[in-house]
Amino acid sequence: MNRRQISYEREPARRVFASEFRETRVQFKASDDEKSPNYALLPSGVRANRILVVGTLTEKQRQGDQNIFYRGRIIDPTGTFFIMAGSYQPEAMQQIAKIEVPAFVAVIGKPNIYQTPEGAYLVSINAESISTVDRETRDIWVLDTARETLDRLDAIGTTDDSRKAQEEYGIKPEIYRKMVYDALTQVQL
Amino acid sequence: MTLSEVTERISQKIEANGVSADRQKIESKLRRLVEEFGVNVAEAERTVMSDLAREHNIPLTGSGGGSSSEERRIRDLAPEEWVTIEGKIVALSPSPSPSIAQTGIIADSSGAIRFVAWSRGNPPVMEYGQWYRIESAVVDEYRGAPNLKIHSGTTISTVESDTPLIPSITPVAELKTGVGSVRAKVVQNWDVTHDRMLQVGILGDETGTIKFVIWKEDGKEKLELDTVYNIYYAVVDEYNGRLSLTLNTAMYIADEGDIEVGRNETEASGAIVHVAPGSGLIKRCPVEGCSRTLSRQNYCPVHEIQPDFRYDLRLKAVVDDGLRARNVLMQRDLVEALTGLSLDDAVEIAESSPLGMDDVFDRVKNAVLGRYYTCSGGEIDGRLLVNRCSPVTFDSAELAALLNRAGGEAA
Repeated sequence: MNRRQISYEREPARRVFASEFRETRVQFKASDDEKSPNYALLPSGVRANRILVVGTLTEKQRQGDQNIFYRGRIIDPTGTFFIMAGSYQPEAMQQIAKIEVPAFVAVIGKPNIYQTPEGAYLVSINAESISTVDRETRDIWVLDTARETLDRLDAIGTTDDSRKAQEEYGIKPEIYRKMVYDALTQVQL
Repeated sequence: MTLSEVTERISQKIEANGVSADRQKIESKLRRLVEEFGVNVAEAERTVMSDLAREHNIPLTGSGGGSSSEERRIRDLAPEEWVTIEGKIVALSPSPSPSIAQTGIIADSSGAIRFVAWSRGNPPVMEYGQWYRIESAVVDEYRGAPNLKIHSGTTISTVESDTPLIPSITPVAELKTGVGSVRAKVVQNWDVTHDRMLQVGILGDETGTIKFVIWKEDGKEKLELDTVYNIYYAVVDEYNGRLSLTLNTAMYIADEGDIEVGRNETEASGAIVHVAPGSGLIKRCPVEGCSRTLSRQNYCPVHEIQPDFRYDLRLKAVVDDGLRARNVLMQRDLVEALTGLSLDDAVEIAESSPLGMDDVFDRVKNAVLGRYYTCSGGEIDGRLLVNRCSPVTFDSAELAALLNRAGGEAA
């Protein structure tokens, strides 16, 4: 009889390019349980509780008086990620406070989708941690993200998440392939 | 075993016979027997099962008087059977409880099984090395492995046999819970963690490695490191999904020759997405064989305050490939190589910086967080104990392959 303990397993950090991430609209919970993780459904068809992005931090802004938080812009070969680090992410906030822009950074964080009263969507990352990295790490991330995005495109229609994503977004895989191709061409040999 | 697990097992058994099972009723019957009447769970299960079997006319496996007298091969025994076997007592262990008359291992040429003879049935005393015929014993499951129960209805008779019994050797990677014989080399000798433990370490053969334990007992000897042994009739246990060998029942003889031990290493490649507390500079308990991590107040959970601690560097992190996040643990030499920070430098920083050990933690974290590494090592309890680790470097051949993959199919 197998009575292995079911231990808590950390959610993997998905790799996603900015121009795909900013199209994300759907967020859901795996179950009604209060502690069940929150997922964003990426257009290419995978759930993401956490993502890893590596790019150039070009701008950071300190905001708020009592509740200080930082906003930042991170550029990858396809577009811009918006990140937030507030008092609920003290580690990330302290790290971003120290970084001088521009810099190559790696950000690990949770997807956050906000709809304004006017109906516009603001898609950002609540950063858990930010660290400075080098150019090579950025290039490796682009390859990594390209590979995982292509893998997801190849799997469309074969997983529940990807079928759901097709219903919600109906993306055209060839447009995303083009995005991946363009991202790769920006990596210098 | 909980009652609901037993309920499920009974239900599945009667459902397999096309009868619908009322789980609530089964569980309440079990509960009544166990809680109100102090019946042990195995007996309660048997009672409820046979009640249901009678009620629905289900034949119970192997319980018909006729089928149990046919002699069986030990290797083929499965739980929930009444059996008759002929075998040789190859191990006897001290009885752990007055209700158990004898316990040990009985073997035939096909295999071996642990047995337990209950005192209540007044079984005759069996002798080590003697062959016996055991009729109408019950096979049940104990710690995930088949176990032969000798009860009041079991008949034991001696058999005159001088058939030499040659145990069949199992490759380490193919061991299953129960009883196993291996030919293996002692590859690691660990510090014993318990007063009653004589030796603990790792044994390996060409197919893999397994932890072994010998408990202190008269006449038990330690194994020599780097020596090959033939180990006959060791008990194979499972704990948290991993197997280990207990050698107290076993006979072990040093053997000639050497074994090229196979490594069951796991590789993880990905970005470090988290550096856990407890990384960086730590203090370890100086007591021989302890080496536990001390708290900030130099407090060891076992040996209390230890002012003469020794420093160490380590990294507890998560390596994530986008599909799976894995916990990894790296020791000093790898941390030094990855961060470029030596233990001496780290101690220097901790003692001179106003942030102390936090400063070292931050440096270690900033050096590795968000970067890509390939690590390999042994996996224990869901954590990779890293033996080798190197940074991932940019691979232009991969870039070319991905460009082809992205562009080629779009055209």
